Amino acid sequence: MSLEHPLAERYLSRLDEQLKDLAPAERREVVDEIRNHIADATRAGKPLDSVLQALGSADELARGYAVELLLHPRAPSSTGKQRTERFLALTGLVVVGSIPTLVIVVVLASVGVSFFGSGLVVFAAGILASVGWLPNEVRMDVAPIWAILLGPLLVAGGALSLAALVWYVRFLARVVRRVLPAPAR
Amino acid sequence: MSSRDLGEWTSQLRRGVLELCILQVLRQGASYGYEIVTTLDALGPLAAGENTVYPLLRRLKVDGVLETFMQDSPAGPPRQYYRLTAAGRQRLSALEKEWSAMVKAVDRCMQKGGAS
Repeated sequence: MSLEHPLAERYLSRLDEQLKDLAPAERREVVDEIRNHIADATRAGKPLDSVLQALGSADELARGYAVELLLHPRAPSSTGKQRTERFLALTGLVVVGSIPTLVIVVVLASVGVSFFGSGLVVFAAGILASVGWLPNEVRMDVAPIWAILLGPLLVAGGALSLAALVWYVRFLARVVRRVLPAPAR
Repeated sequence: MSSRDLGEWTSQLRRGVLELCILQVLRQGASYGYEIVTTLDALGPLAAGENTVYPLLRRLKVDGVLETFMQDSPAGPPRQYYRLTAAGRQRLSALEKEWSAMVKAVDRCMQKGGAS
């Protein structure tokens, strides 16, 4: 019902104007509700002036809504839909992420450890061979100088691989944390 | 205490209690804005005025404590009705407990203050 009273219409359009920060649907519902309030109150025999006065100015009323709805938004309790979405996200993460994670972790860990360890051994063997302390049972196919150069390269490769593993685990933790529900405050 | 301070004190006190009373009013069944406002009005100084009740109703809806539905009214356009959700009923009983504990504590506090 249109109120058709210019005073009421002016009040409502001012209110609507002041509620511009609310979501459009919310804003429409609020204005309709106040429109109904004015209609109900005047139908109950109250003069329009006093009805509008009791509501406070349109600006004050709009501020009341802003304080309740915008300034201190409480975290809405998670709805069923949100829970379903979170469950799907988590399931998707496990399905898509578990096999690659297994491969990546196994490859990076074994490459990291073996390169790092063998690099150290090769480097040490190169040093020993160059000073002639290498036991006779150990046979080296390359010149000691190559072993001394190659050793640090292997160590560096291994270290790089281990660093990549650490980075990947951190990345994974971030993703999982985003999908899992926020801890209760 | 200046009257301005007193006004602020009562308005803060009222706002918290108002939520409890709105939920209590809706425990009897669904209701719409004007009816809720007039019911609260009839209870006396509690009525913080429409400009507190209406925004709080929206807030309680956003919080999932209340839900709305439209229903035809005998005269005029369909009205938006409010009713308690399951979460709202839980909140109501939690607030009731909180309130009666508070009242007891304040009573004791006043008696102690009066006795000394």
